[in-house]
Amino acid sequence: MPYPQEIGEKLWNRRKLLQLGLGGVATAGIAGGYQWFRQRSSGQPVRVPLVPTDTPAYGNGINPLKMVRDFDYGKVKQENGRTIREFQIIASTTTLQLNSAVSYITWNYNGRVPGPTLRAREGDRVRVSFLNQGGHAHTMHFHGIHPTAVDGVRPVSNGKAFIYEFDAVPYGVHLYHCHIAPVTRHISKGLHGMFIVDPKEGRSPADEIVLVMDAYDTNDDNRNELYAFNGLPNYYKRYPIPIYQNQLVRLYLLNVVEFDAALTFHTHANFFRVYPTGMTLKPSYETDVITMGTAERHILEFAYPYPGKYMFHPHQDAIAEAGCMGLFDVIPQNS
Amino acid sequence: MGILRRLVRYMFLAVSIVGLILSIKACSSPPATQTSSPAAQSEMSSSSSTTDAASNKPKININSAILSELDKLEAALGVPALSHKIQASRPYGSTEDLVSKKVVTQEQFDQIKNQITTEEIILTGEAKDVDYMTKLGLMKGHMLVAGELLDLSKPDQAEPHLGHPVEEIYVDLEEQFKERNVPDFKDILTQVQDLVKSKPNDVQVKPKFDEAMDAINKAIAALPDNQRQSANFALQVINGLLETATAEYTAAIADGKVREIIEYQDSRGFVAYAQDTIFKSIEAKVKQADPKASQQITTAFAELRKAWPEAIAPETPVLTADEVAAKVKVIEQMSAPVMSASAS
Repeated sequence: MPYPQEIGEKLWNRRKLLQLGLGGVATAGIAGGYQWFRQRSSGQPVRVPLVPTDTPAYGNGINPLKMVRDFDYGKVKQENGRTIREFQIIASTTTLQLNSAVSYITWNYNGRVPGPTLRAREGDRVRVSFLNQGGHAHTMHFHGIHPTAVDGVRPVSNGKAFIYEFDAVPYGVHLYHCHIAPVTRHISKGLHGMFIVDPKEGRSPADEIVLVMDAYDTNDDNRNELYAFNGLPNYYKRYPIPIYQNQLVRLYLLNVVEFDAALTFHTHANFFRVYPTGMTLKPSYETDVITMGTAERHILEFAYPYPGKYMFHPHQDAIAEAGCMGLFDVIPQNS
Repeated sequence: MGILRRLVRYMFLAVSIVGLILSIKACSSPPATQTSSPAAQSEMSSSSSTTDAASNKPKININSAILSELDKLEAALGVPALSHKIQASRPYGSTEDLVSKKVVTQEQFDQIKNQITTEEIILTGEAKDVDYMTKLGLMKGHMLVAGELLDLSKPDQAEPHLGHPVEEIYVDLEEQFKERNVPDFKDILTQVQDLVKSKPNDVQVKPKFDEAMDAINKAIAALPDNQRQSANFALQVINGLLETATAEYTAAIADGKVREIIEYQDSRGFVAYAQDTIFKSIEAKVKQADPKASQQITTAFAELRKAWPEAIAPETPVLTADEVAAKVKVIEQMSAPVMSASAS
């Protein structure tokens, strides 16, 4: 749930309204979307299953099951009446065990692939202190609107720091990545992450999850050998992501796979509503396959009506079978 | 249900709706921020530096200052090893982070707060020259190892090292080349890379490569000889190169194997340039200033170089990443007394 300390009160109001039996009507207007209405009218609070804490991280700085719902809102400060969100990012190298046979040296942000999911609200000032300890020169290039000085193409050499400061605009689901050439190598080795800018008015309550499709060129032949969701191949196939039956899920989905032109994300046994680049408050259309080029990202919303395990994967099936495969474990509503 | 209860309920609802409308209004007020980027930044920096107007000294950027600059803070507060502590806790989003990250106390912070900054400040004086020379040293290191690989008829392995000087370093130095009247040499760097990539056996490879090397040498010669041959200056550059070499060597090894040959080769080039060119040019002076330190640096270099027996990476590393880091540390520690002696 975004900004709990800030919107807690508003939520309380909404809940109170709900109790008063008029919440559905009153709140639908606020969110400006029918989602809200549906969610609220179902009378269910957002339910997020407990996640097992003992699954392996294989050298990644964060367990992928935790990563799914891990958001970094930064350290919040007020300066001259503005909300500043300060983030600290260190580029370094760590080794991931991609599968039982392949260990791979990644270059990454804060010791994890993908890097932390940074999150701000539209109009906030974002201040990212970036320190490079990676050996090579690295940068942080954010997608968004900002001046050239903070565009993240100027190299930050090893041992040096740089502060990227800009306004969080426009709202949507964006990304950041290193922009040193060969960019294919810097991104594929792990220097990428998601950057979410929430609309001022917020979005309806939902179980919010993050999936980044990434890939590894383990032998530097400019072709990918292994693919993954959130850094580790086949992780969610082995350890499915638990979600609740009939719970609205908001998926922030990003494709950072280099060398392959596009991936077509697919959910089994369900359709999802698409908010292109997360830049709309209402869904644009509904489908069960969405084709995304490198750096393309969207918000997808769905709820699973039946319990059980359901695959999600790109429908380039060779890519799915090379590691970009996962499962949702839909837990019965009444459990 | 009582009428009173219903009334209370409606009143509550009315209050809530008013509250919501107010909050919606607050949200929809135009973002006063969108056009503010450069203006806001200069505003902020001017306000943060007003207190410093009296002293008028350039501030120390705690994110990027080299150790010798941070030593001023260490001296001001009398805290041993403070420079290293400041370096180790980077990055800082603001100067106050020195306190929140427990590098200094609030009292100590108050004493130095007017001397420090996190805003990007333009490097000046020696720090700027050290930075310039270190980056050119990295360029030379990349080119050295590329040259070795070309000689070994491994153009495919040489190619990334011809790319790094342009992609990682040149852009960063471009403005300085203008200031220092160094002729633009990006094109020649790019030409060598293109040639090796597309026509590795072309007769032009060798002359173009030499031309690129000459161009880098000219950029280095923009610094006066006496500065480059000062032990204090050269040792700072050497330590910068070795630090980067350590990071790259670490990024080359996993599970006791050399997994990334590019990073193995990068680090080989940096260490070779640091010793064979830079240290060699000041060795006599260092020996004179501190014979014991000189001996230890020479020994540490000899041991360090064992990590890179050839330009072609061995399957099993000769030294672990920790061993390389330890030897680099020895050189850094032995440099300190020589630097302070030659600086005074």
